[in-house]
Amino acid sequence: MLLLQVIVGGLLLGAIYALFSSGLTLIWGMMNFINFAHGEFVMLGMYAALLAAIWLGGGPAVFGFASLLALFVLGVVIYFSLIRHVVRGPMLAQILSTFGLALLLRYTAFWLFSANVVSMPETVLSGNLNVGGILVSVPQLIAGVIAAALTVAMHLLLTRTTIGSKLLAVAEDRNAAMLMGIRPDRMQALAWGLSAGSAGIAGALMAMSYPWSPSVGETFGLTAFVVVTFGGFGSVPGAMYAGLIIGLIQALSAYYLGPIYKDVVVYALFVALLWLRPQGLMGKA
Amino acid sequence: MKEATAPKIAWGWVALAAIFLAYPLVFQSAFFRDIGVLLLLAAISASAWNIVGGYAGQVSVGHGMFFGVGAYVPLMAFTHLGWPPLLGVPIAIVVVLILSVIVGMPTFRLQGHYFSMATLAVAELIRLLVGTWDFAGAAIGLSGPAIPRGWWDLTFTSELPYYYIFLGVLATLLLVTWQVQRSRFGYYMRAVKAGERAARSLGVPVRRTKLYALMLSAAFTSVAGSLYSIKTGFVDPESGFGILVSVQMLIIAALGGAGTLIGPLIGAIILIPLQTATNTWFGGGGSGLTYILYGGIIVLLARFEPGGLVELWNTYAPRRWRSGSHAP
Amino acid sequence: MLLEAKNVAKHFGEFRAVAAANLTVAEGDVIGLIGPNGAGKSTFFNCLAGDTEPTAGTILFDGQDVTTASTEAHARLGIGRTFQVPATFEDMSILENVMVGAFMRHPKRADAQAHAEKIIEMTGLKDQAHLRARSLGTPGRKRLEIARVLATGPRLMLLDEALAGLTPGELQQAIALVRRIHESGVTLVIVEHIMEVIMTLTARVLVFNQGRVIASGKPQDVVKDPVVIEAYLGHGHGKRARKRGPAA
Repeated sequence: MLLLQVIVGGLLLGAIYALFSSGLTLIWGMMNFINFAHGEFVMLGMYAALLAAIWLGGGPAVFGFASLLALFVLGVVIYFSLIRHVVRGPMLAQILSTFGLALLLRYTAFWLFSANVVSMPETVLSGNLNVGGILVSVPQLIAGVIAAALTVAMHLLLTRTTIGSKLLAVAEDRNAAMLMGIRPDRMQALAWGLSAGSAGIAGALMAMSYPWSPSVGETFGLTAFVVVTFGGFGSVPGAMYAGLIIGLIQALSAYYLGPIYKDVVVYALFVALLWLRPQGLMGKA
Repeated sequence: MKEATAPKIAWGWVALAAIFLAYPLVFQSAFFRDIGVLLLLAAISASAWNIVGGYAGQVSVGHGMFFGVGAYVPLMAFTHLGWPPLLGVPIAIVVVLILSVIVGMPTFRLQGHYFSMATLAVAELIRLLVGTWDFAGAAIGLSGPAIPRGWWDLTFTSELPYYYIFLGVLATLLLVTWQVQRSRFGYYMRAVKAGERAARSLGVPVRRTKLYALMLSAAFTSVAGSLYSIKTGFVDPESGFGILVSVQMLIIAALGGAGTLIGPLIGAIILIPLQTATNTWFGGGGSGLTYILYGGIIVLLARFEPGGLVELWNTYAPRRWRSGSHAP
Repeated sequence: MLLEAKNVAKHFGEFRAVAAANLTVAEGDVIGLIGPNGAGKSTFFNCLAGDTEPTAGTILFDGQDVTTASTEAHARLGIGRTFQVPATFEDMSILENVMVGAFMRHPKRADAQAHAEKIIEMTGLKDQAHLRARSLGTPGRKRLEIARVLATGPRLMLLDEALAGLTPGELQQAIALVRRIHESGVTLVIVEHIMEVIMTLTARVLVFNQGRVIASGKPQDVVKDPVVIEAYLGHGHGKRARKRGPAA
């Protein structure tokens, strides 16, 4: 039974991984750009949720939306002030840009919030549910389900809406998209907003159940890399499956090997992936 | 015109060497000598990173993994076998060469991002593992010889011998880099950075070039790590493998000028005193502020001048002071 | 036969970029590949250069099967190519660019530099040898690409629209350069849109349309072929040409 509980917990966390990783893979697929600060977006989402909970009161709907909005705006601002200028430059500039951004965001957070571990104030959503003998924490369950739904919503947004097809058009062929009257700059800014926003709300969802400090961004960032590599370049469905699997693997590793190893196994899996199947689940070779 | 500037460049290096040789004799206090030693170490690490990150354009953000191995292995040899740490240095080099192959072989046939991501992941992986490995001192770390058994333990009370040893290593590294840069391998590295597809069409063995660049860079980074742990007599997972180790190498090389010979040294000359200053002035909060500053500098470099100060100089300095497209 | 392409096909999923293309090139030939945009000639060209692996068919170079060989292997065997959008090493000087090519057969720096300087002289880039490639305009970059690949000592050179975008004066110079290269013993396969280049330089021309070779022969014959005219100008024009007869 305990094992089943671990599995369920892992999958629920994995759904949150899927949500923020789908934002990373969107950018990668669209602009061939890897955001080294993506984990920091999640971390900032967690703090945004905390601040919203303290200043505005209210439940997950309020702080979830606050994180989504705050990070969406941040993503767009970062696109226009930084990303747009480096995306067609040398690799060094591209990688340094978001790597430097990660440091900036992380240590500014350390400075603003200190290195203390914090968690969300108690809300209506607490306690555990007993589902057929398995104990599931209510916030974890709600967070996981919402995360899964949002990830699916992201996928639908990209594939079934007009705006989604415009985004994909820019990803496919920037020049052709321009000739069709689509403005690539705006679409890419939107993509950054969506990417950061998805990270932000994922952070808010995670904050409901887990304590954190500014250093969590580093781990989330790496986790996102593994998930998107496993899922396949640019594939949101891939990120969905991969997120769940990685969440599961992590939970099982912690259970069988000890908590330190939960990340070690995931990173080792990453290296193995690069050797054996770098295109991931849904990518092309 | 390039031929005319070559002697000027040579004299510039001679002057620089003279300054570095005289420095600890002029500034005799422990404080200044300590900064000097730190500066040299930073220049060595950054120059080592520069080989694969600057010349070959493969941006490693986890080079701390090589530094850490170089720092740990000599102290492991001392702690468990009683050897002088110096004997551990070549062993560490062998280990990092293997590590280079593990990280580089799969990623160098893919887009550049994979390599960068992999360096970050593997550095973190090793840091976590070492932190649980009792043989490596777990979270506490390892120490070197407290009392020297002979000169070969390299435990000096004064900074002076360390300074000159480090200076010697830096000079060797720069000499090797200079020779490599002029050779076919060096041209191939730069071609890979400048345009892989075109390089391939000219017969450049792209994957192999990247791998050799990584291996050479890793070996020297390992030496830098060894120098660090031998001098400080201590290492732990954070000081060996922490992300800030990787960041420092990278920012120093990039600020000065990635892909140039003198860039990393310039970066060290600017950043190490700066870092010492911010750490001292702001006390405990200082180190946090230092890294906010580092993050900001890296972003500005990326946004405005990825070629660093050397590139800035070449763009704006009067014609006759420029160094040409690259040193001969 | 220096180069033989037999039944080379390249499919991208459902899309047939190239279907059953054949080509034979003897040592010393100058062959032209022409055809409307999207006709498949660039894809075929990339197969010859080793940049793309054909879905079907074989390519033999000097009797050796190079169908699946890497781009680097192609280069080392003596097949050189230029790029439609010049891919010069922007931050390296012209001399350094050419030296990268020269190093292939001259591992020692001094030899490579001497050889590169000779090529630079031959291609008229001597005055700019120490400037960064970035400072050149497109015609200069194209010339640099030619010099750079020439330094690898190729037996076969594939030129991808290397003479596009030049002023009439520059075009004459470029044609003269290509002729000099041919006279030095290099076999050439040229993709071009500029008829003057095709007419004056090539001895034989292949016409691509929709992935297939629709005509081949001497340039002056091919341009009058109704099938070819139809490919470029559309239906109706071919018919008119046929009515007029070959004397037109």
